[in-house]
Amino acid sequence: MQTTTSRPRDFKRDKKGLSNIIVVVLSLVILAIIVVNVILWNYQMSQSDWERTQETFSVSSISRLTRSPWSTTHTEYQLNLGDRVSGSYSDTQLVDGSYERFRESTPTRELDINGTFSIDISTYPLADIRSVELHLVYSVGDTSEQWYMKAYNWTSGSFSNVGFNSTSGDSPIAGWNSYAVNLTDQWRSYVGNKGKIIIKVHDQGPDAPPTNLDIDYLAVRPVIDGAIFMFRNTGPRTAHLVSIWICNVEAHKRYETDIFVNSGETMSYTRVDITLPNGQFTAKVITERGNTGVYASD
Amino acid sequence: MLKLWRNRKAITPVLSNILLLVIAVAGMSISITATYVITGNLRETMGERFIVEDVWFRPGVISVYLRNTGKTRISTAGIYVDYVAQPFTALELEPLEHDWTNITFAWTPNTVYYLKVITSRGTQVADYYKSPP
Repeated sequence: MQTTTSRPRDFKRDKKGLSNIIVVVLSLVILAIIVVNVILWNYQMSQSDWERTQETFSVSSISRLTRSPWSTTHTEYQLNLGDRVSGSYSDTQLVDGSYERFRESTPTRELDINGTFSIDISTYPLADIRSVELHLVYSVGDTSEQWYMKAYNWTSGSFSNVGFNSTSGDSPIAGWNSYAVNLTDQWRSYVGNKGKIIIKVHDQGPDAPPTNLDIDYLAVRPVIDGAIFMFRNTGPRTAHLVSIWICNVEAHKRYETDIFVNSGETMSYTRVDITLPNGQFTAKVITERGNTGVYASD
Repeated sequence: MLKLWRNRKAITPVLSNILLLVIAVAGMSISITATYVITGNLRETMGERFIVEDVWFRPGVISVYLRNTGKTRISTAGIYVDYVAQPFTALELEPLEHDWTNITFAWTPNTVYYLKVITSRGTQVADYYKSPP
């Protein structure tokens, strides 16, 4: 009992021993901090390396994209001359035989209608558009007169077909007719800054027989020079694609990208600003973790 | 007050305690700073990762596009072509940054070169690259 009570007092007096313990404990604490820090960081980096090895990503195919899908009107046609007989603008959105019918005005026997269309400039920016195409599928009762398409020129403020690849109009035959024009490199005058384009369809002029115009389809589409990529992620982790390289003997071009491909997903990716070179090329797609998917053209 | 001033026996323990305290605090500060520096360096060295996105053989120049995929800033310290150090444009990249570095080198067509990029902390990425015809 005496021994037990006297021990703390001895210990208190032995300052040398206490200081040694403090030094050892502090050293241990510092050592522990270093070790824990290194282990934690090493774990984090190992996990990052492991995640990289888990990523299995490939580029299945790359093809040139020269046309966007057709865009139809989403508002009713404006009648400048003539009357609407049957149907509505929704009948002109598909080539399916259902149509909107217009009739020439009396007594001049003329027809003049406007349709408003828009190009999705968020997907197809104006800077990447090369031209614009118009396509009309129509039928008329009187095949003796020409039919024309014009577009609103935002610079001159009037409808025109100047610069179109064909300005001579279309001579219809009995049954359905397909009439297409290309706005060539003059397209920019006919497309508003927000992608709006107004198309006018009109006949040759006054004539004797009253004619019906049946419009089955009227649409516009931008001509582009882009690329469609097909990505495939067969790994268990989501792949974050950060850059696309298009390389050939003449140039190595890098394009920024920021898309995610889920595990097991096959994804189609359209880029209108990437022009594929003629001849052989190699495309590389880099992921954020540092893996590369390679595609070589034939 | 005068009595206290004359009592040198009492002042000595106070001074010695203060001195010990200062030494202890200084020692701890040095230890903590050293710990921070050591672990910081270790972390930076372990956190270095980078990849070569592209290698482009241009007349008299081999351009290498690097991407920092690690968690710390990297700077290129040396580039070797077939184990020989070559002059190059220095490059420093923050995490997720990427850029070209150009190696001045008179390459010959249809030849395989062993390119090695080394960072200032010693991380290296090396591979074989064949020059175009």
